[in-house]
Amino acid sequence: MNKNLNTRILGAAAASWVLGLAAPQLSRAAVSDEDFNALKTMVQQLQQAHQQDQQQIQTLEQKLGETQLLATNAVEQASAVALAQATPPPLARHNFTMVGDAEIQYAKTYGNGTHNGQMLADFAPIFLFQANQSILFEAGFDVTVNNGTSDGNYLVNGNQGGTYTHDTGSSTSVSMSFGQMDYLVNDYVTFVGGYMLLPLGTYSERTAGWLNKIPDDPYGVEFLPGAGAGAQLRGSYPLGESGQMLTYSAYCANGPSSVDGTGNAYTISGGNTIANLDLGGNVGIQNNGNTGNLHSAPSGGGRIGWFIPWGGAHKDLELGVSGQSGTWDDNNSYVWSACVLDAALHFGPNVEIKGEYIDTWYNTADAGTIRPWGAWVQAGYKLAGLNLDLPIISDIELIGRYDQENNGLGTVAGNNLGSDSRRYTMGYVYYITNTLLFEGDYEFIHNSIIGGTPQPSNQLIFQLSYGF
Amino acid sequence: MKHQNPSRRFLLRPVAIAALALVAAGALINTARADETKPAAKSPAPAPKKLTGAELYAVNCNRCHPERYPTEFNSAQWQTIMLHMRVRANLPAKQAKEILKYMKEEAGN
Repeated sequence: MNKNLNTRILGAAAASWVLGLAAPQLSRAAVSDEDFNALKTMVQQLQQAHQQDQQQIQTLEQKLGETQLLATNAVEQASAVALAQATPPPLARHNFTMVGDAEIQYAKTYGNGTHNGQMLADFAPIFLFQANQSILFEAGFDVTVNNGTSDGNYLVNGNQGGTYTHDTGSSTSVSMSFGQMDYLVNDYVTFVGGYMLLPLGTYSERTAGWLNKIPDDPYGVEFLPGAGAGAQLRGSYPLGESGQMLTYSAYCANGPSSVDGTGNAYTISGGNTIANLDLGGNVGIQNNGNTGNLHSAPSGGGRIGWFIPWGGAHKDLELGVSGQSGTWDDNNSYVWSACVLDAALHFGPNVEIKGEYIDTWYNTADAGTIRPWGAWVQAGYKLAGLNLDLPIISDIELIGRYDQENNGLGTVAGNNLGSDSRRYTMGYVYYITNTLLFEGDYEFIHNSIIGGTPQPSNQLIFQLSYGF
Repeated sequence: MKHQNPSRRFLLRPVAIAALALVAAGALINTARADETKPAAKSPAPAPKKLTGAELYAVNCNRCHPERYPTEFNSAQWQTIMLHMRVRANLPAKQAKEILKYMKEEAGN
């Protein structure tokens, strides 16, 4: 049985082999040359088409790669942008900064035949440029528009005709109040050079509109040069760890001069008799036509201060004494001097009392010693101290001031420039924000003019001040 | 015989009186403060507390102007402004640095 099966398998295999060999021979024999060539051509065409397809595929693959690269870059860039937006930029060096103040003011005078109302706008930027950790340049400007100036002189045929008694329109002034370089020599000494605010008292260095709680200057400060060209050393020394300190300033500056060069008390200018002293005026046109110091001796001055805080913040006392002295005539024969005592007391966050006593004196060639002097004291109380918890009331500070001055010229016979003034002022400050203040005050003025024209007896002032 | 100028005499008198009054007031305050901190018993006196930047800021800045919020300027601007204020207000260097550090931290940028 098995033998028969094996025989059959072998037989079938042999038959298949024979047929397998015979069939191709039969097929080849059936294809003609034409068919073969056509088939060959078709194969060649297919090969070409295949090559073209391969090239297209390569091209597409290349483009796909480029597209993928672009997409990758776009994603990376988007990620970078998102990261940059999420991360704050590194700090730029803001070594140029502007601070300062701006005010608008309305003032109205009453009494003694005057009826003057005027509007004033003031923009006073301070530009700060920090060159490095130790050097600072600072310059303060004052741009003022004053509508309603009431005083002035007019001419008739070239001669003095009289004095205006009516408004003369508006006037604009641009001035540089100070421009100086500060160099921190070490922890205790700072060098200041340029056109400096002078530390005679504290008012001249703290006179910005939004710092004054009463819009106009107190009496007496007009007898001091607010600024001067020169050099200064200043600094402070801490006493203990409580914040107490001693401060000092020492400077030399151009100092005062004489309008006509002499040491006389008065001179004639524009047909008017005026005081000959020119505070801070020791630069002008010399006899040889050059511009320079009118006299060769600069003035020297300084201030020593003592700051004593106690019981933490808002309880402190500051005391200071300052002065300046130097010649004022072209021959350096006569001396002008000043002494200022200043004090400021804070008794808690709601009570402030401060003031200055200003004494000046200068020798003259023809009128002996002239002594302009003034004093002012100012007190403020913030109604927040009443704990009324009322929004507007609690933001108001009541202010009072008494000031007095005498220009010393009334002691000299034959002039009408002497004046002795006392003033009582009541006012308020409404703190709209910490830097936007609405101030107002009413002033009772008692002015004794020796031989001069009457002055206003009362004045009303409103001012909006902004510190920036 | 030495002659004293009368104008000098009437000038010096109020100046001397005012100076004495100011010095006396300062001394009085210092004495009062010393009494406040005087220990009741003989225990050793505690070391004086060093004021922080925030405390120095409150002590010094408000005496001339309303306090400015640290966020009103950024850190770099405070750097320049504090240099200006150190000179203008005659602040001791260490105090100015502590105040600046506080302002920068609170400025937040």
